[in-house]
Amino acid sequence: MRLMKITALTGSWLRCARDVALAMMAAAGVSCAVIAQTVLLPPAPGLAAGSVDTAQPDRGINEWLLRMHEASRRRAYIGTFVVSSGSSMASAKIWHICDGQNQMERVESLSGPPRSTFRRDDQVITFLPERKHAVAERRESLGLFPNLLQSADSSIAQFYSARLAGHDRVAGFDADMVLLQPKDKLRYGYRVWSEKKTGLVVKLQTLDIDGRVLEQSAFSELQLDAPVNMNKLNQMMSNTEGYKVDRPEMIKTTAAAEGWVLKTPVAGFKPMSCFKRPAAAPEGSAVDNTMQWIFSDGLASVSLFVELFDRRQHGQEGLMALGATRTITRRIGDWWLTVVGEAPIQTLSAFAQGLERKKATPN
Amino acid sequence: MAHDTLKTREAISALADGQLRGQEFARAVEAVSRDDDDRATWHVYHLVGDVLRSGDAAGHNDLAFVERLQLRLKSEDVVVQSTDAIKSIASDAMNTRDNGQFDTQADSANASRFRWKLVAGLASLAAVAFVGWGWVGGLNTAPPVSLATAPAAPASAVVVAAEQPQIMIRDPRLDELLAAHKQFGGTSALQMPAGFLRNATFEVPNR
Repeated sequence: MRLMKITALTGSWLRCARDVALAMMAAAGVSCAVIAQTVLLPPAPGLAAGSVDTAQPDRGINEWLLRMHEASRRRAYIGTFVVSSGSSMASAKIWHICDGQNQMERVESLSGPPRSTFRRDDQVITFLPERKHAVAERRESLGLFPNLLQSADSSIAQFYSARLAGHDRVAGFDADMVLLQPKDKLRYGYRVWSEKKTGLVVKLQTLDIDGRVLEQSAFSELQLDAPVNMNKLNQMMSNTEGYKVDRPEMIKTTAAAEGWVLKTPVAGFKPMSCFKRPAAAPEGSAVDNTMQWIFSDGLASVSLFVELFDRRQHGQEGLMALGATRTITRRIGDWWLTVVGEAPIQTLSAFAQGLERKKATPN
Repeated sequence: MAHDTLKTREAISALADGQLRGQEFARAVEAVSRDDDDRATWHVYHLVGDVLRSGDAAGHNDLAFVERLQLRLKSEDVVVQSTDAIKSIASDAMNTRDNGQFDTQADSANASRFRWKLVAGLASLAAVAFVGWGWVGGLNTAPPVSLATAPAAPASAVVVAAEQPQIMIRDPRLDELLAAHKQFGGTSALQMPAGFLRNATFEVPNR
């Protein structure tokens, strides 16, 4: 119901824009800045020490994560998914199906500009109907799981602990509330609501070091074992008629080949992959020839973007926040570094300080 | 009083959109002809509306327009009551629904396009966009001058540990990098399925 209200709010946007424009002129932008401040919720009771539910059999963190993952592999469902991050909120309608081999998903945005995203395993295509534009891409990271957990060197358990923190109801379903707590201050914690029978993740919160909610997403409505037609989704996904389809090309590279080294590793974060976009980037994407070096500790990921410093484009070094995402920008000689990740500022700062130029690019 | 101002402003807005008939039309026209402030509001609504509507032709000149708009408003000495923006938005939307005065269908068909056009050009409007970065602090320096400063936020005394963003900025380049991070950097065991759904739902608008 709440969701409906928020969606309705966007209806009279032109008038809102006008009011904001007026308010902006009157208050010199002050009111805008005030309403934009991140609203941090008070720590939830589940975080308090001693609230561990000892009556339940203890699952380890890897068991919990596998269970949650398996749940989506075996189920078909339809639901409404709501994400609230900082002072913003977005919602989408979700269709999900898995025939045991392939997974398919359809995500239809209910807020913001109309957008449909289809996923078949690691193939993703996003349609922007207003601009008759579609972006097709392969998301390699989607295929990594559950290998990430099953590999012998999985370090998730080394840096996070899991415990059942209570029970709750989400979207009409009974759920186990599992707290994934970091063991140091270099990462955020997560509170995950896992549907009792299936294990499906029905709600997820990212918590800062003090246990405050930075960002949360949840099903506001969910229909498990819903009739979802895979053929129909396949048809919709491949119907790009009338759309201009972009396929952003990414070149695999290594940081070393690009002339960069992380002289001090950040505890728990391992390099996962490194990409470069070709210079002739498709229209609309200025992320060209920028190196993206990706690190992950299994739950959180950090991207290091390195590009040539451009006085016109790159402003000031600084720290920024958006929901659970933090960003640091820093100039390294002729280069401009942007660190983006769902991790505390200290962590990103460690990356920013640790990155070093090793040699000139060979080409 | 504040409520009256809102009501009047709303009526003027509807008038500007050509959505008023009969009594309401007469009342709004009267207000606009009688009251200087109301006339100024009417003027601003038209200017804003014009530019939003002609956004297609104007391309990416939104920012330049707003600068012109602000200058012009200054020169015309418009006095606008300082209203809490969020209240205005909320009550505006509520009223819209309650009295059915506006053609909300027609509005929403274009609303999102207007919104993103508007937001794309206006750093100070980032607050109402889906993507607005909170400036936590400079490494050694004060935030860029173009930022809107919150009253209780001494920009110089930034405490990194607090991680409490006080100022909103909008940086399209940062949005692109964020999108790339979400797309290729979502290397997380929580990625499946919640992470993917989260990112697909809360995607940075691809400009």
